Amino acid sequence: MVISFKQIEEKLKTEAKRLLGESQVSIVLAYGKGYDENHPMPYVARNPSDVDNIVFNEYCNYNLARYLVRYPAGTKIAVAVKAADSRAVIQLIQEEKVKREDLVLLGIPVYGMKNPKTHEIIDGKTTGGLYNPVLYDILLGDEVHGQAIQSPYDVLAAYESMDKEARFAFWKKEFDKCIRCYACRKACPMCYCDPCFIDQTKPKWGDKSPQSHGNLMYHLTRFHHLAGRCIDCGECSRACPVDIPLYLFHKKVAKACEEMFGQAAGMSIEDKPALVNFRVDDSDKFLE
Amino acid sequence: MSFEPKILGIACNWCTYTGADLAGTTRLQYPQNLRVVRVMCSSRINPSFIFRAFQLGADGVLVGGCHPGDCHYNTGNLYARRRLAVTKKILEFSGLESGRFRVEWISASEGNKFAEVVTEFTEQIKKLGPQIKFKISQ
Amino acid sequence: MLKKTTIDKLPELAAALMEKGTLVAPIKEDAGFNFREITDAKQVDLIFHNTIISPKSAFFPQMEDFVRYQTGKSILEAAPVELNLKPTFLFGVRPCDVKSFQIMDIHFSGTGVVDPYWQKRREATTIFGFAFDMNEAADAAEFYHTLGIGAADPEGSDIFMVRKDDILMLKVITPKGEKLMAGLSFPTDASADEIKYFDDYIAKGHDYKTRYTCVDTEAIAREFESIFDNSDFWTKISDACLSCGVCTFVCPTCYCFDICDETLFSQGTRRRVWDACMFTDFTLEASGHNPRTKVYQRLRQKVCHKYSYHIRKYGVISCVGCGRCTRYCPVNIDIFSIVEEAVKAKWYKRL
Ligand code: SF4
Ligand code: SF4
Ligand code: SF4
Ligand code: SF4
Ligand code: FES
Repeated sequence: MVISFKQIEEKLKTEAKRLLGESQVSIVLAYGKGYDENHPMPYVARNPSDVDNIVFNEYCNYNLARYLVRYPAGTKIAVAVKAADSRAVIQLIQEEKVKREDLVLLGIPVYGMKNPKTHEIIDGKTTGGLYNPVLYDILLGDEVHGQAIQSPYDVLAAYESMDKEARFAFWKKEFDKCIRCYACRKACPMCYCDPCFIDQTKPKWGDKSPQSHGNLMYHLTRFHHLAGRCIDCGECSRACPVDIPLYLFHKKVAKACEEMFGQAAGMSIEDKPALVNFRVDDSDKFLE
Repeated sequence: MSFEPKILGIACNWCTYTGADLAGTTRLQYPQNLRVVRVMCSSRINPSFIFRAFQLGADGVLVGGCHPGDCHYNTGNLYARRRLAVTKKILEFSGLESGRFRVEWISASEGNKFAEVVTEFTEQIKKLGPQIKFKISQ
Repeated sequence: MLKKTTIDKLPELAAALMEKGTLVAPIKEDAGFNFREITDAKQVDLIFHNTIISPKSAFFPQMEDFVRYQTGKSILEAAPVELNLKPTFLFGVRPCDVKSFQIMDIHFSGTGVVDPYWQKRREATTIFGFAFDMNEAADAAEFYHTLGIGAADPEGSDIFMVRKDDILMLKVITPKGEKLMAGLSFPTDASADEIKYFDDYIAKGHDYKTRYTCVDTEAIAREFESIFDNSDFWTKISDACLSCGVCTFVCPTCYCFDICDETLFSQGTRRRVWDACMFTDFTLEASGHNPRTKVYQRLRQKVCHKYSYHIRKYGVISCVGCGRCTRYCPVNIDIFSIVEEAVKAKWYKRL
């Protein structure tokens, strides 16, 4: 089966036009033209006439769930979601940041998405092992079946084979590159806090200057805040201008959470986020 | 000179801190390396406290709370158990020796257990040596 | 005076410069190239398009320490951090980035209020400009030509370099460059053919088009002023913007900083670190009031500062078209498309 990006684009346009035309939603979060083909952008259609600007191709990686919390509660929004993006929406519903009834999910079943800098296929890094949206109202295409599914945790093999000294050296080197532009948290659909802990001054959790210790504090705490909530879209790593592989750490934490708490983030709107939940019979082994 | 580790203890007011008191009043011997901070409940512990403690030079961090089911606020330690489990994993994934962080449930009547845990943990940290990975060098 | 050497002799040239002082040059890192202080002459790599972070960091580092103090002690015991600079060589700077230093000079010394840190670093530094490779296509993100900067513009450099296959030609531009070159023994004199190639290359640089034809600065400033209150326009423009710090941190002409006291136990340092108008807390006041709470207000500030206020105040655009903000923006917001959008086909023609 081959994905037809053009076909998805057409369907996206048709549905967006219909939903806006019938006033079912006031905005459609989709993808639009950028300064060239390889660089499309997140795009907000507000009128049926905007719909012509919508595009969809293999570089439309952006997780549009990121933008949902920007609109006032009650805004009716249609949002285009790929597999991981739909999990972000589910997670946001669990966290009561958005309401299911305010959303129309335009599901995009797709694989073969590419990194615009390297043109490499990034499914293994970002789809959370899924090609079909977990939740949708309208599916823009046919469900993907038969395509080899990579486990979302496969890419961890090299990292997991490191001993603790190597792990420490690896992350020290990576975190030392960080320029504290905060693109990672700003691209992340789950980082919606205002203010973020790292911007707080009373107490001050970490220094503002981009030195090892402040960087370590920022990243470890952010990993912690994303535990059980990260839905493996990979946007943090893709946004990073210095290519820090944050996704490795997030995946590792996600894997541990899945093993301990028996639930992956953003898979069902019935779930509660793992860390604002407990079971009386949770094992003390977690702490060993 | 032998290495005397600095250990931060964070103990909940209702159980572990009271247990520590009991250990004191019954004159149980345990190493002096622990400095205890009292919090109202183990669920009050922000994981960043632990990262920060290591950055500021703690060689080990010991968290104490009520036994699951006994929390003064009913469910605080049940949330804390999950949260601190994640903290432990994050420390481990970042490359810190996982033995430097420990969570124990110690009730108000378990003065003995408090002394034992502190003795054992201090020994363990002594074996691990000074913590330099997170410590901020000036 | 045109000198030359070969690319494979680059380590020797680097070593010679390192003997005379500090060499800052592009090196290849995991994510791309960056200017770094060179510790091993072999690291210098000139086969690059442009760096991720602009070379402004050579004069305006992301973190600059001012004073060290101890809490609880008198301020009189606080010690200012002295800059003891060796002669510095900033090697391989693209013409658009060289131009950015002149724009930054306006703020750090030109208005009469002199920033000693910037000034000292500027004075200590000899700039080796480096022409773009015109055999390769211009990057889709950049538009320096639109702003009147040639791909091989020697203006502002002390020594200007052009690469022809494996030959590196170096031309002295300023007395500072001349003095340095006189003390270097091994670049040899270039031949008459090479001199011609060099001069032609510089001239050709002005025909090497990047995206658009030229612009009228006054017209742009006027257009932006007229749409300042058009929040629909700005909201649309910023629909995708994440309000992160990438565009300002990689930009060669963004100069905002924050001064913070960072204290550990009783030892503290007062230092400045880069700040960005795209950050939520950039305009947060002590009262808790924040005049720019919306993303569009912040993006408007960034664009209008460069393309409107700066023109009105100092007569020049505060942008050199290096394309970094566009290239590294996680959602591909293109600053020049915003300018285009704002002035609506009144004066520009798409190439
Ligand atoms: S942490 Fe990264 S991978 Fe996880 S949800 Fe946020 S942006 Fe996506
Ligand atoms: S890092 Fe933590 S505090 Fe900051 S935005 Fe993300 S979740 Fe919120
Ligand atoms: S995006 Fe990259 S450089 Fe920027 S703050 Fe995040 S990790 Fe650091
Ligand atoms: S324009 Fe791009 S780089 Fe700049 S703040 Fe917005 S998203 Fe970040
Ligand atoms: S009160 Fe002791 S753990 Fe909650």
